[in-house]
Amino acid sequence: MATAPTTLVIATKSGIGASLAKRLRDRGDSVLHTDPSLDLADASAVADSLRSLVGSGTVDRVVLAAIDPSAFRAAPINSLTEAEWDQAAEYSMRAAFVALQQAYEVLADGGRVILILPTVATTGVADLVPLCTAVEAIRVMAKAVARRWGARSITVNTIEVELAAFMLGDEDATDVVMPVVPVLGQSALPPGSAIDDVLGLVDMLATPAAGAITGALLVADRGTVMQP
Amino acid sequence: MLVTGAGAGVGRGVSAAFGAAGAIVGIGVRRPEAAEETAADVAAAGGTPVILRCDVTIAEQSAAAIAQLVVDYGRLDAVVHNAVSGRSSEATDFENTTLEEWEDHSSVTVRATWRLAVQAYPHLQKTQGSYLLMSSPAGIEGSERAPFYSAVKAAQRGFVRALAREWGPDHIRVNSVAPLAISPALENMKVLEPERVKRIEGLVPLGRLGDPETDIGPPSVFLCSDEARYVTGQTLVVSGGRFTSL
Repeated sequence: MATAPTTLVIATKSGIGASLAKRLRDRGDSVLHTDPSLDLADASAVADSLRSLVGSGTVDRVVLAAIDPSAFRAAPINSLTEAEWDQAAEYSMRAAFVALQQAYEVLADGGRVILILPTVATTGVADLVPLCTAVEAIRVMAKAVARRWGARSITVNTIEVELAAFMLGDEDATDVVMPVVPVLGQSALPPGSAIDDVLGLVDMLATPAAGAITGALLVADRGTVMQP
Repeated sequence: MLVTGAGAGVGRGVSAAFGAAGAIVGIGVRRPEAAEETAADVAAAGGTPVILRCDVTIAEQSAAAIAQLVVDYGRLDAVVHNAVSGRSSEATDFENTTLEEWEDHSSVTVRATWRLAVQAYPHLQKTQGSYLLMSSPAGIEGSERAPFYSAVKAAQRGFVRALAREWGPDHIRVNSVAPLAISPALENMKVLEPERVKRIEGLVPLGRLGDPETDIGPPSVFLCSDEARYVTGQTLVVSGGRFTSL
C-alpha cells in the first residue's frame, strides 16, 4: 500500500503558511509544522527541529512561507536603524536560506518545494522597501536551488499572493495591522478565497504531471498583477 | 558622483564612461592605491577623478566618501553602487555552506545598498539625482553555481522597484543595470582556459562579452543622465542579447 504523502510546513505563527497547514491537516493530509517560535535563521535549531519532526524518514513536500512580521511595517528607508533594516529585510533572506538548506536534508527524491510569497516585489511598494528586497531575493534564491536540485528530480516553485492574503491567510483581520498598499491594479477575476487558490496550486504542483515545472513563479492574485 | 567598487572591472569601466561625460567621479575603493588606474582612465577620458577610501561594509567610510564629495564639489548627482563581495566569483556550495558566507555577500550587496541610499538621500534630494545599482542577470534567472550571488543581486532589483516609488515624489530616480561583461576573473580565464571563454562568448548573439567601459558604461551614464529623466524603477539588461527573456 502506498504511503500518504507528507508535507512539511515551515511558516510563521500566522498568515498563509499557518492557514495552509491547518487546511491540509483538516482534510486529512499528513502535515508536519515547525514550531512558530523557531528562529529560522538559526541553522542548528532548524536542523534539530526538522530532524525531530521528520525522524529518520523523509518528506514529500516542503511549503515555506516565512517572512518576518517586521517586514510588514511601512516606513521610509531613511527612518530605519540598521538593526531595523536587518530584521525587516535581511533576516527573512537568512531564514529562507537556512530553511531551504535544512529542508534539502529531509526531502525525498522527487520531492516538491513550494515557496509562498507576497506579490509586492513584482511591482515595488513605497515604504515597504525591506519587504520587496527580501521577497525578490528569496524568489531568485528559489530559482537557483531549482537548478541545483533538479538532478534529484526535486522541483522548486514559488506561488505569489496579494500581501493581505499572505499576511492573513484564513484569519480575521481585526488584530493585524496592515500596511497601506496603493492599489496598483484591479483583479481581473471576482474576489475569492486566496487560501483555496493556493491550495489548488499546491495540489497541482504535487501531481506527477507537474514534475517538469520547476523554477516557476505562479501568481495567484486573481489577475491583479500580471507579469510583463 | 560616487562609484563604489571602482578599482577594476565594471566599476573601472563605468567610472571612465562617466569621466567621458565630464563628471567629477568619486572612485570608491577599499584600498586607495588600487584606484590609480581608474583615476588615470577617468582623467584621460576628460573627467575629474577623486580617489576615496570607501569600504561599503563600513558605514563611516561610505558616509565620509559622500561627505567629501559634497564638501569639495558642492553637490552629489549620482551614486553607482557596483561593489560586490570578494567571494562573488566563487561557487557557493548551498547545501553545505554557512551563514558566514551569506553575510559576505549580503553585507556588501544588500546592507550597503540600503546604507548608501540613506547616506546619499539628502544630497540626491537637492540635485534630484540618481541612484544606480549594478545588479546581474544572475539576479533575474538564478544561477546554479552562485545561489547567494543570485539572491543578493535579486534583492537589489526588489529594492530598486520599491525605492523608485518611495523616492519618486523627490524626483530621485532609482534604476539598475544587469551587465554581462569582461571581469578580472574572466580576463584570467581567457589566458588559462581560452576555450571556455570561447564557449561563453558563443552564447552571446553579438559574439563577445561586454566591455566595461564602452558597452556597460554608456547605458549606465544614460540612466543617470537627464536623458533618462522619465526612467525609474527599471533594470536594464546589457548582455549582448545573451539574456532575452528576463
